[in-house]
Amino acid sequence: MAQQPKATDASAKLAELLKLQVGSLAETIEKEGQNIFGGSNNLLGTDEINDFCIEFLELLVALLQSKDPHDDASPQFHALEMYFNNLSKQILVRGGRVEDLVRYIQFMQRTLIDALGNDKRVTVDDARTMLLFLSGLFNELILAVFQAYLEEKERTVYAQEAELRETATPITEIWDGVLTLPIIGTLDSNRTVLVMEALLNRIAKEHASAVVIDLTGVKNIDSQVSHHLIQMVQAVQLMGSDAIITGIRPEIARALISLNIDLSNVTTRASLSDGLKEAFRRMGILVSKKTD
Amino acid sequence: MAIPGLHLTQIGSDNFLLEPTRSLNIRTQDTLIESIVARLQQAGASRLYYDLSEQPLIDPVYYGWLDALARTIQAINVKMVCIHMQPTAAFALSKFMHETPIFETALDISGWQKTGR
Repeated sequence: MAQQPKATDASAKLAELLKLQVGSLAETIEKEGQNIFGGSNNLLGTDEINDFCIEFLELLVALLQSKDPHDDASPQFHALEMYFNNLSKQILVRGGRVEDLVRYIQFMQRTLIDALGNDKRVTVDDARTMLLFLSGLFNELILAVFQAYLEEKERTVYAQEAELRETATPITEIWDGVLTLPIIGTLDSNRTVLVMEALLNRIAKEHASAVVIDLTGVKNIDSQVSHHLIQMVQAVQLMGSDAIITGIRPEIARALISLNIDLSNVTTRASLSDGLKEAFRRMGILVSKKTD
Repeated sequence: MAIPGLHLTQIGSDNFLLEPTRSLNIRTQDTLIESIVARLQQAGASRLYYDLSEQPLIDPVYYGWLDALARTIQAINVKMVCIHMQPTAAFALSKFMHETPIFETALDISGWQKTGR
């Protein structure tokens, strides 16, 4: 804390230096920006790179001229952090790499340090204080970039998960009021809950009278999953729809019986086609061949 | 006479629709059930549709109320059909329910009539 006036003094000198050399600094940083993000990389346009560069220098000067440039809770610091956060989001969304962005930020830091070295008025003591300040500041800014990167990644993973969930539960309205749900692969508890949620919402949305759940593609079933399956059937029935389970493989049938699963309240049919016929029968729909 | 916490409306000759309101207090279920049974008996009802569209969750307490009502009206030969059960309610109910409920369920009134159960 005792060093605060000294640091503020050094910050004021650094701000002065930046203002004096703004033209050459901007030119150097813009050039590197063009190399990394412009041209064939096609991540940012020339105007965007120039605007970003000018904005960065303005925000940095504003921070250096603030009451306490070391205060990471100040609005000026927050503005600079947000600037990098937005820049990284923009670049990542356009397919850029976080490594390039970090290199660009490190380049900015190097450029500013070089500018310090070129100014003869800067004393060794000032240079030390300024270096410490810049090093702390740029570390924080790189953290802001990584934070934005992680947020963007999380958003992508979440979107992919949602897409996977959607494709893992291909609920189709095969006839007015008749839904089919072919289950393929391994059913675990998490997946069963997801399928159940999607199915119940679909019943409410489509006002479905019957649901045919086809297990032809299910290879294994354990005690917990079979209970979930029965719960799914119960929930469908509670909503007022008929649930028909089809395509139970011999090994699944044997597993269900050995697990003491009560299927007495569940309608089962051998194949999906039989299940559909049963659903149609219950709804009073007759499908017949056209006679000439 | 109005029954507090619910609307009981006669639809058709012998069907009734029960729509619970937010002020329904199932802790007074004995009094409520007696009033409902009296109305149903008086009108010679044969079926009671219980509308669950405003019930996002059914917990064991609420299920107990539905079960008690369905059992009581069954004693006077009235069948209870729960309609418009919400996905969240069906999901929750299927989690703790171990036996087939005494009441029937249907998507809506017409859905129940169509299936002809």
